[in-house]
Amino acid sequence: MASTIGSAISSISATPRRSSVATAVNGISSLKSVSFSSRRKSLPSIRLQPAPLRFRISCAAKQETVDKVCEIVKNQLALADNIIVAGSSKFSELGADSLDTVEIVMRLEETFEINVDEASAQNIATVQDVADLIEKLAAEKSA
Amino acid sequence: MNQFIRRGMLPMQGGVLSHRLFASLPPLTPSPLPSRREAHLWYVVPDELKDASQLKKYMELLSSCERERVLSMNGERLQKGALLSRALVRTTLARYCRVNPQSIKFKTSKFGKPEIMWQHGDQCNQPSLQFNVSHSSSLIACGITVDVPIGIDVEEKQRKTMSSISSLARRYFSPSEVEYLGSFSNTDARQKEFIKLWTLKEAYVKALGRGFSGAPFKDFTIRLEATKAMQLAAVPRVHIEADSDPEYLTDNWEFALFELSSSHYAAVCMERDISHSGRENEPLRLKVWKTIPFVEDEFVSGTNAVKYICGLS
Repeated sequence: MASTIGSAISSISATPRRSSVATAVNGISSLKSVSFSSRRKSLPSIRLQPAPLRFRISCAAKQETVDKVCEIVKNQLALADNIIVAGSSKFSELGADSLDTVEIVMRLEETFEINVDEASAQNIATVQDVADLIEKLAAEKSA
Repeated sequence: MNQFIRRGMLPMQGGVLSHRLFASLPPLTPSPLPSRREAHLWYVVPDELKDASQLKKYMELLSSCERERVLSMNGERLQKGALLSRALVRTTLARYCRVNPQSIKFKTSKFGKPEIMWQHGDQCNQPSLQFNVSHSSSLIACGITVDVPIGIDVEEKQRKTMSSISSLARRYFSPSEVEYLGSFSNTDARQKEFIKLWTLKEAYVKALGRGFSGAPFKDFTIRLEATKAMQLAAVPRVHIEADSDPEYLTDNWEFALFELSSSHYAAVCMERDISHSGRENEPLRLKVWKTIPFVEDEFVSGTNAVKYICGLS
């Protein structure tokens, strides 16, 4: 089944990522994902679409952080090998339920030695969001 | 199950398309509304639905937004689950409202809880239907009440966690819940108790409708308590931890915990009806149906498909 092609594009220098202008309304992020992957249909063809330039407000997380998050997510959700998880992958589309989510958060806390409180976790929609949050928390910790 | 549909019977909304749709699908069996202290639960087992043409018909019930979301799910299994989830919500609500399932509009509350968006002329806004959906990979359920908020959660009994139960409990549950789980030396039993407790806590948070961050699991405890009523051993009750916010976390909620379809633990949480004093300890009444919408409905309360654990009458 066609899945996100984020990994193919993330190696390009202008890595598109979601803008950080998150409108959190009492805990709900109304931000729409800027997934540039092709819309998945039941046919296995993948259409490459040009990646839109994103307006960067804060620094994107290091690729190795994103990769580590992807690994933890894939592990937790026991995804089939052909399903690619990348920065742009949305948790809602990967079938993560609440128990998966808390397990992932806990694993991330152990791996990166941070503490994720519910408030900072509420705006997370993609793997990239998680990676950014991790680096933010890690930076605050060492500050 | 192809019955002749009398066009005059049901209020048809939408244009020609909905007429054609209704001609190809048998009508949904209308259901009487739940009474004030009652919850209804309808569930579907995705693995029992293999008919691609049936799935296609369900797709036609969805809004274009919902269809897009279904197709954006990663893989056929997840897409099917998302499709059945929406189809179950729409068809279940349609049974009580006697409308075309396609015509129901949804919105989210300011805290993100999905709600029905009533249209002018809808027959269903008085009394108002409340609903909540939950799914695991192998079962999807939709709970219905009238007027009172409801939250439900279903989890596979055998669900294994990647992390240990004790580490998950220490991180997320309240101290007394950690202690309770720790009292089970048998790991299998501890795992089952964890899942049961998880479904109860999740159902409560979903009933509150403020999202996981609005009601952190650590801030409340759910435990079984003896009731004054003789026929019940104990009911689950929620207690708010001392240093959490009492404005948002309330404790006037009733719970029911049961085994569903032999494969799942299910919890239902609904607001307690305090308008009738002296009835606070009356247990939650529940009616359960197994369904393949438009194909088969089966009332399963009182059968092996619904095995009471606690809280139900």
